[in-house]
This record gives sequence, C-alpha cells and structure tokens, in this order.
Amino acid sequence: MVSLRDQFPILKRKVNGYPLVYLDNAATTQKPSVVIEAMNDYYTTSNANVHRAVHTLAGEATDGYESCRTALKQRFNAEYAILTSGTTEAINLVAHAWGRANLQKGDVIVLTEMEHHSDIVPWQMLAEERGVELRYVPVTKQFTLDMEAFTFALEGAKLACVVHTSNVLGVRNPLEDIIELCRKNGVRILIDAAQGVPHTHLDFADFGADFVAFSAHKMCGPTGIGALLVQPDAFREMHPFMGGGDMIEHVSIEGSTYQTNEHKFEAGTPRIAEAVGWKAALDWLNTIDIESEHERLLTIAKYVADELRQMGVEVYGRHEHQDSAVVSFTHPTINSEDIAHLLDARGFAVRTGHHCAQPLLQRLGLLGTVRASFYVYNTMDEAEQFIAEMKDIVEKFA
Amino acid sequence: MTYPSQLSELIEEFQDIVDKRERLEYLFEFASEVNELPRTDWTDETRVRGCQSEAHIRVHVEKGIVHFESAADAQLVQGLMGILTIAIHGQETGVVMELTPEFAMEMGILTTLSPSRSNGFRNMFDKIQQEVHNATG
Repeated sequence: MVSLRDQFPILKRKVNGYPLVYLDNAATTQKPSVVIEAMNDYYTTSNANVHRAVHTLAGEATDGYESCRTALKQRFNAEYAILTSGTTEAINLVAHAWGRANLQKGDVIVLTEMEHHSDIVPWQMLAEERGVELRYVPVTKQFTLDMEAFTFALEGAKLACVVHTSNVLGVRNPLEDIIELCRKNGVRILIDAAQGVPHTHLDFADFGADFVAFSAHKMCGPTGIGALLVQPDAFREMHPFMGGGDMIEHVSIEGSTYQTNEHKFEAGTPRIAEAVGWKAALDWLNTIDIESEHERLLTIAKYVADELRQMGVEVYGRHEHQDSAVVSFTHPTINSEDIAHLLDARGFAVRTGHHCAQPLLQRLGLLGTVRASFYVYNTMDEAEQFIAEMKDIVEKFA
Repeated sequence: MTYPSQLSELIEEFQDIVDKRERLEYLFEFASEVNELPRTDWTDETRVRGCQSEAHIRVHVEKGIVHFESAADAQLVQGLMGILTIAIHGQETGVVMELTPEFAMEMGILTTLSPSRSNGFRNMFDKIQQEVHNATG
C-alpha cells in the first residue's frame, strides 16, 4: 500500500538542496496524485462545455462537474451547494446576491476583528454603496472573540459574518453559541469556513448557519474553485447578480428568466476540470479519519508552540481542542521576513506577513508573524526538524 | 544584462556561494553599507509599499548625481538596500535609470521579481527609478 505521504508527488522534491518541509497549509495544501490524475484525465478524455450540448463529451463533462456538487452535498449534508471560485467569491456572492436584495440604508452587519480580508472588504464595499452599518466584535487578549460584545452587537442586526477558525491564530470560534445567538435574534449568519472545513466534519443541516463558504485548495483540491452552502430559506432570498450563459432559463429581447437551482448563481462556463479535481479530493478525504488526523496535527502544533516558547519566541494562539494546527509567532529581535528566508534556505516553507487579516494584527499590535501550519501529510519528524532549524536560527541571529 | 562593474563583481561573489543560507548570511553583512535613513525620518512618503516589514528609502538628485538613503527592519531587505547603495549611490542618473532589478535573482537571493503587493524589492526598485525620473523631469 502506498503511504499517505507517497501519494503527494511534490513532497519528494528538494528546495535549495534540502527535502521540502511544507508548512504553509493554511495558505494552500498540496495535491495527492488522484487529484492531479483526475484533472489530467478530464482534459485528456472528456473536455467539453457543460449543461448544453448533447454529444458524449458534453455529457461526461456535465457529469464530472455535477459530481462535485453531489459529493459536496453528501459530505456536508447540504441542500444547496453553489460552486464558486473560492471562499472570497462565495462571500462576495452573499454580499451581492443576498445583501443587495435584503439590506437597506441603516441596516446592520456584525463582523469580527478576527476576519480575513475576504470577509471584511465585501461588506465595506456594500456599506459604502448602501449606507449599511458595520459593527466589529473585538478580539480579547486570550485570542478569543468578546462574546459579550458580540451579543450586544447583534441588537437590530440583519446579518453576522464570522470566521470558523482564524487563519492567523488557529482559534476555532464558539460557533454553536454564535449561531444560536443569531437565530434567537433573527440574524442571518455567514460562516467563513476556509480554515475550518479542512480539519473537521461539518453537518450543514445541523450546524444552523445560513451560509458557509470554503475553498477546495485548502483541502487537497485544486485552486480556483470553492463553494457556498446555503439553507433553503436563505437561498430563496438571493437574487442573481452575475448575468450570462448557464444561469438563464429563457432570454428574449423583452427580458430573461432564470434557473431556479444553483445554476442561477453560476453564470458563464464554470471551472469544470477544477470541479472534477475537487470531487477526487473529496473522495480521497473521505478515506481519511479527519477527526483523529486533526488530533494528531494539534499534538504536533502544541509541541511546536511549546518548543518555540522555550526559545523566547512569542506564540499567538492557544491550541485547544478543535483549534487548527496553526502556529503563529514572532521573535523579539529577528525579523519575521528574515526567519522565513532563512527557513526557506533549508527547505522549510512557512508564511510571513499579515496573513490578509490586518485588523486582527493591529489588535495584537503586530505588523506580521511567521506562521507554520500543518496538514495531513505532515509528521512529528518534520516538526522536530523545524524546531532544530529554528534553534539554529535563534542561536546565530538573535 | 550588463551591470556596473562593482555590481557585476558582487553578483559573481554571490553566485560562488553554493548554499543559499550562506548567501543570505553574506547578504545580511551588506545591511551595514546603507546610508541609514534615521527612523525619525520614516514617513508614508519614504515607505516602500508591499514589504512584509518596514522599509524606507529617500532619494534625491543633486547636479545629476543620485543620493540614496535607506533602512529596513529586515536584514534581508536592508542587505539588498546595501547592495543598491553600492550600485547607485553617487552615480549619474542615467546609470540608475538603466539598471534593472534582475541582479537580485542572478545573485540567488530572490526567486521572483514579478510585480505584486508583497514583492518589496521590486517595489523599492521601481520607487527609486520613479523618484529619479521625477527629479530629472
């Protein structure tokens, strides 16, 4: 049997003469051979446009594309799964298709300081256009949301948008409480689950959120594709915002009528090969016990965080049960960018910067951090190599 | 690309260092070559956009000669500034405008020069040339 790591061809490469240790999984994950082969096979044997022509290839392409939607609905127990270019487009879709149809001047949207820019900027744009008020829930010194402030902010709100798991801190928010609060107050709730879905099972029907957005590429799927799960009543409140082919039922010069299913929000030729690749990734992930993998990765993250703290490194996050395996840190005297370049010289891939979460970094009083993030193919051995390299860097450059 | 002789020599020196970590360590030594722009002079105008850490430059042209002051939080960035100081400080404007940023890749320091919000070196290089261009009309 091929080991899990052996199923990822890229993990065999060297970087600057050293074996690659890929620890930038919160940015994007690597792809197993089955995903690469599925996309290659699609272009080699079945490439055609979807939903229209009656020829054999068009049928195969349509089946391939729609099989991704079916797999998503099965994995997440969702009635509606709109395929988008990723989490960003999924959130923008809610802003345009739901927000424009349901929000007026003076209405309130609740956001948090923990959000990725993708869950801030679309709402700022809408606020500017519609005169909608934005309320930001602060992050505490314990790296959690101020739930008292959250409760207070919900008063009179129409929509709340909350990140499932912080891409900077790895903190998983108390989503069950947040969703219950929103439902009690009649507030629609969108969850940015880009960092959450790769690490946990999510039953969308039970979960209770109105919208859940996530990306394929953070769960071993291709870049360029993601999904928005929508509850049926929220789906009925959404109006199409991008017009074009595929989303229409009938077009005449007097006007047009639209599809009634997810296609209404998927104008134009969609990402067919990417959908085929994502389906393969979802099938592959279904063979993995993601909950026990998550526990293993959290153990690795805790080890890394503890070791870094022992060398005088400041670690941001708590690594509690359900948090993701992300370790963000800064060194008091060695610049984060320098650390990342020095690590890269020895084959370690980490992320530095503000991680597209500048309001959170401002709250923490930081310009940026170094972030090591782990996924299913990472091992404790790699974590130990990482710590050994960090010790060497601290000894030489602090 | 033909570079001024001092820069060409530096490129060769860096290329002779096989190990990237050693190249970076050597680059860090050039951080002390800058005409340091004091932190008190750091403003929005001097800031290099797109750097992951703070990086500031000030360029002025006097009688056709370029004067370059710079400083950064990151040793790597200030090291590149040090090399740029050797390459452009005290040179005629024409020499600076003819320079291209590829040397940072040829030295084996950077892996990309594609314009992007996070490519601080590229943004710094473009800012220097823009300011020289503005000063010379």
